[in-house]
Parts: sequence; structure tokens; C-alpha cells
Amino acid sequence: MPAENVPSTEVEEPDELAVRLCRALVCAAVDPALSGVLLFDLEPQLLDPVARLFARILTGDPHSPGPPVMLSAASRDEDLWTRPVLQREDGGISFRMEPGPLIETDGRSGPPSLVVVPDLTRLSVAGMRAAVQLLGADVTVVEYGGLSHRARPRARWLAACRSADAGRPTGHLLDRFALRLPTCGLRLPTADHLLGMLPPSWLDIARDAQEALVPTAAVSDEALDRVHELLGPESNMRRELSLARLARALATLDGEGTATSEHCAAAARLMGLAVAEGAGRAEPTGGASGSASRSPHPSNRPSEGMGERRHTGQDIPGAAETGQPLLETEPAEGVGAGRGGVQTVLATPYPEDEAEALRDFAPLRSPWQRTAGSASLRGVVIGTRRATDLSDIAHVRTVREAAVHQRIRRTEQFTVSPVDLHSHVRASSPEHMLVLLLDHTCRGGDWDWQDTLTPFLEWAYTRRAAVHIIEVGSAETGNELRAESFAARSVLDPRILPALYRPVGRASPLADGVEQAVQALRRSFRQHGNSLTEAWLVVVTDGRGNVPLRASRTGRLRSPVGTEGVEDTLKAAAGVSAMDRTRLRVAVIDAGREPYGSLPFSLAEALGGVVLEGPSARVRTRGGGGAGER
Amino acid sequence: MSRAAEGVHILPYSRVVGQDDLKLALELNYVSPPIGGVLMAGARGTAKSTLVRAFALMVHEELPVTLPINATDDRVVGGWELDALMRGEPRPQPGLLEEAAEKGLLYIDEVNLLDDHLVNIILDVVSTGVLSVQREGLATAKHLSFGLVGTMNPEEGGLRPQLLDRFGLMVAASQLDTDARHRTIRTVLDFEGELTRKESVWLEQAARDDNARRDQLEQARDRVSGTPIPEDVVRLCARAAERVAAVGQRGEIVATLAARALAALEGADEVVPGHLLRVLPMAFRHRRPETAHGGTFEWGPEDESRVEDLFEPA
Repeated sequence: MPAENVPSTEVEEPDELAVRLCRALVCAAVDPALSGVLLFDLEPQLLDPVARLFARILTGDPHSPGPPVMLSAASRDEDLWTRPVLQREDGGISFRMEPGPLIETDGRSGPPSLVVVPDLTRLSVAGMRAAVQLLGADVTVVEYGGLSHRARPRARWLAACRSADAGRPTGHLLDRFALRLPTCGLRLPTADHLLGMLPPSWLDIARDAQEALVPTAAVSDEALDRVHELLGPESNMRRELSLARLARALATLDGEGTATSEHCAAAARLMGLAVAEGAGRAEPTGGASGSASRSPHPSNRPSEGMGERRHTGQDIPGAAETGQPLLETEPAEGVGAGRGGVQTVLATPYPEDEAEALRDFAPLRSPWQRTAGSASLRGVVIGTRRATDLSDIAHVRTVREAAVHQRIRRTEQFTVSPVDLHSHVRASSPEHMLVLLLDHTCRGGDWDWQDTLTPFLEWAYTRRAAVHIIEVGSAETGNELRAESFAARSVLDPRILPALYRPVGRASPLADGVEQAVQALRRSFRQHGNSLTEAWLVVVTDGRGNVPLRASRTGRLRSPVGTEGVEDTLKAAAGVSAMDRTRLRVAVIDAGREPYGSLPFSLAEALGGVVLEGPSARVRTRGGGGAGER
Repeated sequence: MSRAAEGVHILPYSRVVGQDDLKLALELNYVSPPIGGVLMAGARGTAKSTLVRAFALMVHEELPVTLPINATDDRVVGGWELDALMRGEPRPQPGLLEEAAEKGLLYIDEVNLLDDHLVNIILDVVSTGVLSVQREGLATAKHLSFGLVGTMNPEEGGLRPQLLDRFGLMVAASQLDTDARHRTIRTVLDFEGELTRKESVWLEQAARDDNARRDQLEQARDRVSGTPIPEDVVRLCARAAERVAAVGQRGEIVATLAARALAALEGADEVVPGHLLRVLPMAFRHRRPETAHGGTFEWGPEDESRVEDLFEPA
């Protein structure tokens, strides 16, 4: 539900959240290992002021810190890693290739670049891969278009994402963002006002940290235990390390010599993680408590000095005993609006753990390249050719070509003429795609479904189609409550034939399979745009899904199931009917099993496709459709 | 070409906590380069990349030759130096494969995300041993030989079987227990803290430990060619390969080489079945039919049971 429906006073005092955000940004500025900041449910109009606030913290310049690097769905490798520079010189125009915006400040002192991602779920493959390569890395190696670059990455990243979408990007990418902050209901005062609430020394340290490593506080063993306790036993190492680093940054900013468990609790609160105050927990004698006299805050607890008042966690008895998230992750909703109502803000900075959304398949891979596909300006560069227009010029090749002719031209300056121009050759996208959903539980008796599938496989072969196989109800699966899938470059992939003949299992998570098919198609249409001219979704099933979608997602089956599996399948199928039907065609191959022989027809109707006869040659006609169709 | 990079600090190899299998695979590959490289698979945040870089810094005192996932082909196979061209000087710029041949290793981070056209180039070179460049005015053919070291997170997709087979050994990063996690975080934070000091006893001690380990590896490297492999161990290896239905013959060759490297590392007089048993999962886990076609990399009790009777004392 949109944040505007939530009365802001019920969520959190606006300045508290804003100050917490501000503190988080200072910590990200101080410690390069905290370079990725991910904000959940940030109102789009607040992205620019938050980015400017971050830039101001990094540069110390209140006026014009310079524009950030914006990454979006259109970001391409050559825009990110290299930058061709044309310069007017005495004798004409010179040209050289320099490190691109993501790496231009690496290996230098001074303020680092600020990279802003308005919507993490819409980031291009090149952008996502850049984030994975740069965020939290010890070293970045770039070998791109004649540029060879090795340095410690310095850029700071500010990304926004809806918590409801947190399950969509790969964990590989999300994990790189060390600092998380739910920002639903954020009200941002002016930067001057906000920065004025911080101790002046914080901004000085943040600025100094851009010039050289600043001495950091030590971290006590007790603090590390506290980190582990706060994040729970299932947490991964990166999260623990990030929380410990954040605690250390807070201690460093407060001028403490050692980060204690109090700093860890403060760090957890800063990120919006529920914190349980252990009843018998001994307060540290030094560290944070000892800083009370030096701290400008009213409280001697590092983070609460800024007026931290979290309803979440402290107000719900027993809910935070292990420091686990208190609520299931949902977008903020205006439930319990009255005073004393249950707090419903996002209670964890890791909403992806509980997200039900289906993850993209191999989202960090470049799209499969096809030889039969059309040229695209977005594909991976795989070579160069003579340019026919000025778009997508390959600079290195162009200059090399020009260099060959310099002596013949006998000009005083290096001259590039039109015949030298070369453009990139890019890996083309698939024009055709076959998504095959195989329900193994419907393949009984002597039915060899390869015969039925042959026309589709032949079509995929002759059209050089990319293939996505989704399997349901196999006895060889690792988790019988979930469908399994893989993407192949063509039908010749050696994994496809074994997939056609798996032993039959017990469960049929058809709904999950249909949803994965929807996901694969949606991703392909989004990624390949108009170059994907035709896609087939072929579902071989008897329609009897016996695993509800929730069971597939959670891995827990609650009986009785009833018709829930079938209903969920039809519900998931509705996603296909909403797609571009001029390019997508759907067929359901009916296994012809009784009773419930009408289920494949219901599924075909929900998918908006035709029904084809499976095991027998008998042509079934139902409703008003023609032979074999409905 | 130096691969030192300013401001880059990698946790010393001797201070990396746990991941003994990963370390052993890297060490065996160093002791016996014909093994042909190491593939490390594991969940995110298991220190795979750190370990490779730390190892390279320990033994070569520089970062490994690294092929990033979005490298362009001119940087992989070589091209021209752009600035020199602009001055009218045709100066070839060596590619990463040529650099890797000088150092013996090419490191590919996130190898399963590597673009297809780069995989094709690498496969051509490692299988033929020849880098032939006929493009952009370059016409060269060089004999090159190097091992591949790759890291990957299997969540992001698999590897083509042909490329998978080119990695001599494959290891899976393990999840650490609570105590090891605590020590890991402790070590990383201590390391970062020490970097801000002008003088650090901690870093000096780590450097000494690294040097000591490097000396041990050098000694093993000197010993390895003289470490005999008894015929019965070779025969045992062939039978083990048969039991796990290993695809191709590279697996048993690599397993024998790795067993000999382990024997040299341990200072043994000759290779014994125990050495072979220790390296068997590394050499065969990615050469089983199910793995080669996109299955799991796990080497579980079922795999062990297939070969355990071969190694039981008669």
C-alpha cells in the first residue's frame, strides 16, 4: 500500500527517521566497506534531496557537489566503465579514453563518486553486474575498450527499492548493500537543518575519510557476540560484518576507542532492525557509556541520543527475544491507525528474506546470444565493423583505423575521417523463445510425450529459439514442493533430453511452475524488448496441481490442500493472459487423465491458449473452439 | 606489467579463517601447475575472491591476472595502446591471456557470469594452447599455457561443461560454524583497524606467516617431480574414476597429479592411497555426468560410498 495512506505521526517522528538516515549516510561516507546504502520504500521525489544530502556529506560542499552518476534500465557497460573525452587543443581536437564515471575517482584522494540507482529492480544487467563488481570489493579490475584499470573502488552507492519488490533482485546483488534503511514515511527537512543536528565532528571525520584512512575504533568480542545475537543464527557473514562495521563507524564518530554491544544495538536500530534489550545485560562501563560527557546527545546510548524511538520491537512483548524481525515483510500499511495501534512499518532491513516474489532466473547473466537474432544496441559488444551511421561508435577501433592512414594523409594533426569510423557489433538477442512447462506427474503409462512435443522442439531448433525448461513433479528434484527450471541457449542443450524423462514424483507444484513460466516470459520480453518477436509457452499437464503456491514459496505444506493448488495455478496463469499476445502463443497439452479431465481446458482458458491432444490421437473438441482448440 | 594497485589491501592469506579445502586446492595447484587450475563454488560471502587474491599476493607478491566478467575482447586477446596510436606510434597492448601465460594463472571472478564470446575465446586458447589473433591489423600466433582459477556462486547459474572440465580441481566453499564466523569477523575487523596504524605488529606477524607458508610451498614444488607415484595408486585412481563414471580422462590425470602434490606438501616419500582419497572429490565432483549437465556440485555420502571400499585396507 502506498506510504501516503499511512498517517506519518503513527509511523515515526519524521525528524527521527531523517536523522537516522543522515547518520547512516555519514557512516557510509566514513567507512568504504559500507559504501552501499539501500533505502526501502523511499518516496521517488525524495531521492534527489537524499542524493544531494549524501553528496554534501561526502564533499563537504554545501553548494554544488556535482551531479551523481545515475544508473537505470538503460545503463550500458561502455557508459559506465569508460569515457571518451574530446578536447579542443591548439592544433584541433584531441581524443582519449578515460576511466568512466563508476571508477573515475578510484586511486585518487578527494570526494568519491556518488552512484544513484532510483529503482534497483529495474537496473540493467550491466548496472547490476557493475554493482556486484564494485560494492564492498577489495579491488576492482576493469579491462574494457583499451582501458586497463585496477584500484580499490571508492564510489558510494545510493539505491532505492520497494520492500514489496525486494524478492526480485538476486540475493547476490542485494547482499552487496551493507547499509539498509526502511524509509517509509520519511519527511526530509532541509539539509542544513538535518546536518545541524549532527555533532560537527561527524562531518569533519566524514570529510577527512575521503582523503585518507581514519583511525577506527576497535570492536570488542562482546560486541561481535551481540551482532550475532541481533541478526540471528541464519544470518550470513556479510550482514554480520556490515553490522559490526556500522557499530564501529558509530563508535569512531563518537570518538570512542572501542565499539561495544551498545554500539551494535545502536547500529541495529539505525538500520531499523528490531533490538531486544536483554534484561540481565551488563551495560558497558566504558565505551558508549563513558562517552556521555563528550556526547552532545541527551542520552548516553550512541544511537538513541538522536531521539531514537522505535515502537517496533520494544512495544511488542516477547517479539524481539532473538532480535528477529517482528513482522512479516510487507509494504507499510495503515493498519491500527489509532494511538497504541500495532506498528506496521517495515520491521527489518532484510525484507528479501521473507519476500514471496519470484526471483529472476540468472539475472546477472547477459542475455543468451543468438546467431539468428537481430542486431541490438543493448547487447554485449562482441566485435566491430565499418560504421554506417554515427551511433554506437567503437572508439578504439576507429582510432586504430585512423592511425594506419596518418602517414598517407600527411596532415599535421591526427585526423579521423569518415572512412575510419567503426561501430560495435553486439550480441544479438533471441528472436524466438520456447518456454516448456513439463508436469511429470501426468506422464503415466506408455505415453512418450516427446512425440507430442516434437513440433515445438523442431520449431525451436529451426528458429534458433532460446529455451526455458520448467519441471514439475519430478522424483529427482531437491524440493518436491517447488518447480525447477533452467534456461538453455537452444534445444540442443544436453540438459533438455534428460529433463523429458525424469521419474515421476509425488507432488505437483503446478502453480509454482506456471508462475516461473510467467516470470521467464516477462523477463524475456522486458530484457529483449521488441527483438523478441515470437514466444511459445507450452504446458504439458493434467491440470491437477496439488501444491498451493504458498507451500512452494515457504517450503511448508499445511494440510488439507483441497483445491488450493488448482486455484493457485489458475490465478498464476492469469499473469500470462496479460502479456503481449501478438507475440506470445500458448498451448496446453492435455494428458487426458480422468477424472477432472476439464482441468487442462480451464488452465488453457486462464492462460489464453489452445488445448492440444496428448496421449491419444483422438481429437477432443469442447466448447466453441475448432479441432483441438478451445 | 605490474598488477599492484594503489590503496588495495587484501587480508593476508595466513589470516583467512577456515576454508581449508579452498586453500588446499590453491596450494596443490601451485605446487603442481599441470593440474590446470581451480574452480571455487560457494555461496556469497564465503571469502572465495579474498582467498584467491591473498594467495596470489603471498606467492607472487602481486594481484593475480584477473579477467573481469565484462572485459572486451581487445583486452582479452590484445590490441593497440590507444594513446600511443594517437601519437602515431603503433604499440601493441598485450592481452590478459598473454599476461596470464607469463604468470601461469588467469583468475576469473564470477566465472559463471562470463559472456559467451569470452568463454569461446578462452576455450579455444586453453584447448589448443595457441592464441591466434588476426584482427585490427594484428596478425600473431603464440603458444600460451596457463591455469584457470575461477570463483562462482552457483545461485547465479552454472558453467558450460567444456569450461567446467578445464578447471583441474573444483572445491566448494563451506559454511562456517559460529565460532569460525566469530573468528572471521574478528580477523577482518582487526585487519581493517591495523591498516590505519603507521606500524602494525599484527600485519608484520601475518607477513612472516605468509612467507613461511610460501617457503613450504616452494619446497614442495621442488620436491613434487621427484615424488614417486606407485603403480597401484595409479590403478586405484582409474578404478575410482570408473566408479564415479567420470566424464573424460582428465579427472584421473588431475587426481594423480593432485595426490602427488599433496604428498610433496606433506613431505611424504611417495604417494599413498590416503593422498588420493583426500583429493578425489576435488578432481571428480565436476566431472560426474550429473554435474557436467547442470546438477549439484555436492560430494555427499553417496559419492563417498561408491569409492570407499577401494580404499579400505585389504
